[in-house]
Amino acid sequence: MVAKKKTENSNGPSQKILQELHRKMVRIRKFEESAGKMMEDGKIPGALHLYVGQEAVASGVMQHLSNEDWITSTHRGHGHLVAKGGEFKPMFAELFGRSTGYCRGKGGSMHISNMDLGMLGANGIVGGGPPIAMGAAFSNKFKKNKNVSVAFFGDGASNEGSVHEAANMAALYQLPCVFVCENNGYGEYTPQARHQAIVDVADRAAGYGMPGVVCDGMDVMAVYEAAGEAIERARNGEGPTLLECKTYRYYDHVGVRGMGLNYRSDEEVEEWKNKDAIEAFEKRLLQLGVMTKKKIEKVHSSVNQDIEEAIAFANDSPYPLPEELLDNVYNEEA
Amino acid sequence: MSEAESNTVRELPYVMAINEGIREVLREQKNAFIAGEDVAIAGSVYGYCAGLLDEFGEERVIDTPISEKGIMGLGVGASATGCRPIIDLMFMDFVGECMDEIANQMAKMRFMFGGKATLPVTVLTMGGAGGSLAAQHSQSLEAWLAHLPGMKVVMPSDSYDAKGMIISATRDNNPVFVVLNKASLAMSMEVPEGSYEVPLGEACVRRQGKDLTIVAFGRMVHEAMASVDRLKEIGIDAEVIDARSVQPFDTETVVNSIRKTHRALVIHEAVKFGGIGGEIAAQIQEEAFDYLDAPVMRVAAPFSPVPFSPALEQIYIPNADSILTKVKETLAM
Amino acid sequence: MDARTIGIVANPASGKDVRRLVARASVFDNREKCAIIRRALVGAVNAGARSFAYLDDSHNIAGGAFKEIGKDCEVVVVPCLKTSSALDTIHGARNMREHQPVANLILGGDGTSRAFVKGWRDAVLLPLSTGTNNVFPVLAEATIAGSALGVLAADGVNKEEVVRSVKIIDIEIEEEEGDIALIDAVVTNDQFIGSRALLNAGAIKKIFLTRAEPISVGMTSVGGLVAPLSEEEDAGLYLILDNTGSINVTAPIAPGLYDKLSIKSVERVKFNETIEFKGPCVLALDGEREREIQRDQKVKIRVGREGPGVLDVEKTMELAASRGFFT
Repeated sequence: MVAKKKTENSNGPSQKILQELHRKMVRIRKFEESAGKMMEDGKIPGALHLYVGQEAVASGVMQHLSNEDWITSTHRGHGHLVAKGGEFKPMFAELFGRSTGYCRGKGGSMHISNMDLGMLGANGIVGGGPPIAMGAAFSNKFKKNKNVSVAFFGDGASNEGSVHEAANMAALYQLPCVFVCENNGYGEYTPQARHQAIVDVADRAAGYGMPGVVCDGMDVMAVYEAAGEAIERARNGEGPTLLECKTYRYYDHVGVRGMGLNYRSDEEVEEWKNKDAIEAFEKRLLQLGVMTKKKIEKVHSSVNQDIEEAIAFANDSPYPLPEELLDNVYNEEA
Repeated sequence: MSEAESNTVRELPYVMAINEGIREVLREQKNAFIAGEDVAIAGSVYGYCAGLLDEFGEERVIDTPISEKGIMGLGVGASATGCRPIIDLMFMDFVGECMDEIANQMAKMRFMFGGKATLPVTVLTMGGAGGSLAAQHSQSLEAWLAHLPGMKVVMPSDSYDAKGMIISATRDNNPVFVVLNKASLAMSMEVPEGSYEVPLGEACVRRQGKDLTIVAFGRMVHEAMASVDRLKEIGIDAEVIDARSVQPFDTETVVNSIRKTHRALVIHEAVKFGGIGGEIAAQIQEEAFDYLDAPVMRVAAPFSPVPFSPALEQIYIPNADSILTKVKETLAM
Repeated sequence: MDARTIGIVANPASGKDVRRLVARASVFDNREKCAIIRRALVGAVNAGARSFAYLDDSHNIAGGAFKEIGKDCEVVVVPCLKTSSALDTIHGARNMREHQPVANLILGGDGTSRAFVKGWRDAVLLPLSTGTNNVFPVLAEATIAGSALGVLAADGVNKEEVVRSVKIIDIEIEEEEGDIALIDAVVTNDQFIGSRALLNAGAIKKIFLTRAEPISVGMTSVGGLVAPLSEEEDAGLYLILDNTGSINVTAPIAPGLYDKLSIKSVERVKFNETIEFKGPCVLALDGEREREIQRDQKVKIRVGREGPGVLDVEKTMELAASRGFFT
């Protein structure tokens, strides 16, 4: 249940929750910035889809979830895992392809997961997550617990048949499943206007038979409030919701760069950066006296330190041994 | 093969053996459910879910929309989070509708997550030609599935195996496809009451012989058995192995047989090119080359979609005649 | 081309917020908004309108509706920002003003008209409801609303006969740009604008109303159920809420959502009488949290009749018919 705790003489979440939201966003931002740098330095092999810019969405949603609640993520999944409680050491180790990683170096960026935290994986397939989240929600309903599942997907994935099928079934069975569409305006490198005839993915909710809501995905409190309502509905057995968060990725579909490109203008990127979720939230927390400048700096420096330690840990970690290759293809336990 | 818990044995058609298999599973595993198109109020288009809704109720026998991606995703998500789903995929041909959920999610999740995920999901599906259902409802696509690391694929040919393999599949902690076949639905044989397992990954020698090893699975086991008497007429004593499980494949049983017979013929209903027969032939040559007196031969469907007309479908499906012809060729007769 | 210009504005964001979850509001999809404009255009053209200017909204709702407009019509595309916020409508209204439309069809809720008026204070509006808080919009079928606009544009009636200025709340905010509200300005002890909707009656501290209508939803109903005030009366209503208030009322604070409010005082406010208070608080204007007021920041509020003009559809059509405009 969403705790509607009140701070002194005001309505809304407690200072503790506000500080947690802030820390989550900072952790995601710094993890991703470092990961991007590590990739450019050749430390991280393969493809990296960075979540920078979208921090408010993962943080605002995940604040309402426990380890018993399931999420499915996307190819842009580090942020979701960080917000769900993922630790930097096994995350960096996974990106580095080391045996100490969350997936023992078998998954990497696109499949990073931690079942213990209720995270059913990043997913290399666009639209891969929602049917799985729907299945996990079915499981929760079947077991009659009060847990929910949340499917994160993008505007690009909203055109996949798998998303429609999952949404229809979630509504049909009234499953405790929240579909969070992170509409960042681009399906890979294709602007939304070139990949769908609608602008609000939430408009499709009516067709599935569930409520659809649009919220500002650059405002962590907007996401927090809207997600809180959707998740509470799901927990109370009132069925699924399609929550669309309008957001933006600062970097490219894959890798870092992000500017000087044909498919979007630098002005557009700058406009969105002016709405940066972390900066705006820090400004407001200062105004409210929830945090001081010093305290904010302390969050940044402690996250920086966590990152340094995690990168050192990943660097020092061994690669998986050749004989580990065939481990875990099958579950050998009877 | 484990002993049946009950000694009561009666004749049961394949379709009812499937029903009993599912029923036993739902009785013994409280986290098991069956979901699929038309499985609940209609009792499945083949009738093998008849009575399940009455016994187990709406929560465990679930009609789904015609949404194979959704259904297979349900199986992935529910199994990864503690349920033991049985997913019914009405026709094997429909794997195309949900191949991402099968190939990229179900088969790989455990490996991708470094062993942290366990997916005890069983998929029942119906393969094979013979009913003039034409090119999209008659295929044998087991090679697609067996090519996926992480997936198990079994093809029970008769009632006993159908029931036992469904039970074994649901007890297994991996995704398992149980590929049933339409041509066997009405075939009856003795099946024990109660629960019993047929292990996944073990072939079964259906007939002992000394001149030739025929390796078959699914419906083709019956065609192989039908050819045995005619082979006998031309002086060939054939051994027939029902492979039963395509993935994992029981190479040992096959190789042991070939050490005795020195000749091998692989039969399957899928098209020959890229079929499992090629894999089996390659394995035989790798493991038992020195024992072979003749090249390993294959009988399989021609490289064409399954035709509609009974006149064409009849010649499309491998049968005792085509087996006899191929055996003669193999033995240079 | 004698007919005067009609402005067309559609708010893509109306009818989509979290009130679909907390209240029982329904989603207003953008295809329907587009269809409403198409119907209005048919009505307007049929009545003789030939000149249109539409705001180039970020979802191309208005643009989509103009695809099938006849070649004998002059259509001006009015640029606007595409920030997916109220700024788009505010800036768009300023641009629209340059084309001097005789009246503007506004699709949205109270908040949409408010944003438009923020950009163009003395505009003439015909607001149609596609929002959640719909006190300000008029109830009319789009075809007939369009027809009334057409009658006005083609001089079937005089503006003075059918357009009436409405009340407005002016808000001064210390060291910041001021603000306005057409229906209600609400002081809450929320900390954030967040998802904008007023989710919790317990957070409401003060309510200023231009009208208090028992037949409306939202904040206006709170006053309406206690001390009704019509749009025609030259006054405002000011309610102070308190946990221990003397008047208890259960009011529909959003569509399908009743909540209990405890009112300490209700008073009529004369035009140009100023009420002052200090932050910290959040100001909700016409149904949505809009402004975060800092600690000790001063806010002054007053009500007057310097609001926009609103076109009376019924009166327009009756006059036009009685004068044989359509025959």
